[in-house]
Amino acid sequence: MTAGAAPASTLAALLARAAAGDQAAFRDFYDRTSAKLFGIILRILVERGEAEDVLQEVYVTIWRKAAEFDPARASPITWGATIARNRAIDRLRARAVRPTSPVEAAYDLADDSPSAEAVLVAAGEAARVNAVLATLEPAHAAAIRACYFEGLTYEALSQRDNVPVGTLKSWVRRGLVKLRQQLEAAA
Amino acid sequence: MSGEPPEMPEMTADDALAMDYALGALDRPSRRNVETRLRSDPAFRALVEAWQASLAPLDEATAPVAPPADLWERIAAETAPPAPVRAAAPAPSPGGFWQSLAVWRGLALAGSIAAVVAIAGVAPRGPVAPAAAPPQLLVASLAASDGTPLLSATYDPLRGSVALAPATAADHRGRSPELWVIVDGQPPKSLGLIDIDGANAHAIPAERLQGLKPGATLAISIEPQGGSPTGLPTGPVVATGKLVAI
Repeated sequence: MTAGAAPASTLAALLARAAAGDQAAFRDFYDRTSAKLFGIILRILVERGEAEDVLQEVYVTIWRKAAEFDPARASPITWGATIARNRAIDRLRARAVRPTSPVEAAYDLADDSPSAEAVLVAAGEAARVNAVLATLEPAHAAAIRACYFEGLTYEALSQRDNVPVGTLKSWVRRGLVKLRQQLEAAA
Repeated sequence: MSGEPPEMPEMTADDALAMDYALGALDRPSRRNVETRLRSDPAFRALVEAWQASLAPLDEATAPVAPPADLWERIAAETAPPAPVRAAAPAPSPGGFWQSLAVWRGLALAGSIAAVVAIAGVAPRGPVAPAAAPPQLLVASLAASDGTPLLSATYDPLRGSVALAPATAADHRGRSPELWVIVDGQPPKSLGLIDIDGANAHAIPAERLQGLKPGATLAISIEPQGGSPTGLPTGPVVATGKLVAI
């Protein structure tokens, strides 16, 4: 089951009820979204116990901020995923060092991704994003993925992959500008 | 878009910063700066949200992972209204909350090191009917040893969270402020790492909230990144004070 099984309107309605103090609705929202958010957190933090703590914090935050959710500004799942990513990255930054994997592992991860993504190829936006990423230099796409999925800073990625920070930034920036142009063209 | 260097596409500095933040590539101080700005700059917030929306489809590639079954119980314990504690506290007299608020503000401004907790029952409707008990706000002002007000904290029992608002700017880059409660001379118990660089809310585990009662001492120490390695305060204590019910 993916988040696609839970329409945005359903999730938005559940959030609205949660904002009014309806814990049963909040439980329903949790059941429909927690696996996706836990997956996002786990990719950043890796360590499972820590990821569980962060997931707990994330849902307490969602409960507390449910009234602030604005469907005009983001979909419910994007809103929740953003909270999850930010909490996980904050936790990661609070750690002195992150277990780093060598550059080969990063490319392996990038190579693995399309097959996982192929499962979800029906999701049009995701397919478009990945189609754009596939047109980038592999190293550029890998840098974008390392930042987004693993929460690495430019500086950490620079040290890990032995690529100057300025070069990484230009790779990422060019790739994402292209990504946005393609998405806007398709919209 | 003409004449741009080939290595770096032309973007406004704000758009580039919004992109870096949404991507998750910024270091901790830069993230803090962005988050402070997000609260007061709607145009910048729109840039960030646009990048978040553009990047969100990437999440489709992340396989869902079912969390452990007991995790909901932990969340439910933090989000359910806790058992009323009003019966154990003296009922405030009408208007007492506001008088108390003025008192603790005054104390903080006067440089008191005391952390004063005001227990505010909103229009108490009687000693029974706990299910309908009005929410109680707990307000604390924490000051440094030299009397400088450091931050105020507001505990919302309905949400099980503590909102923190800094009274002064502080620079603790590379270090982690950690909140402690000390009850009856027992070893300090951590209430977790806190952010005292900007207004924010900090969720405290429900089982630890029991320590937040009159007579306990609150303290904030500055710990290595990630928090105290020993489970007890190891760094300088920057704020402390006894909780007093009014």
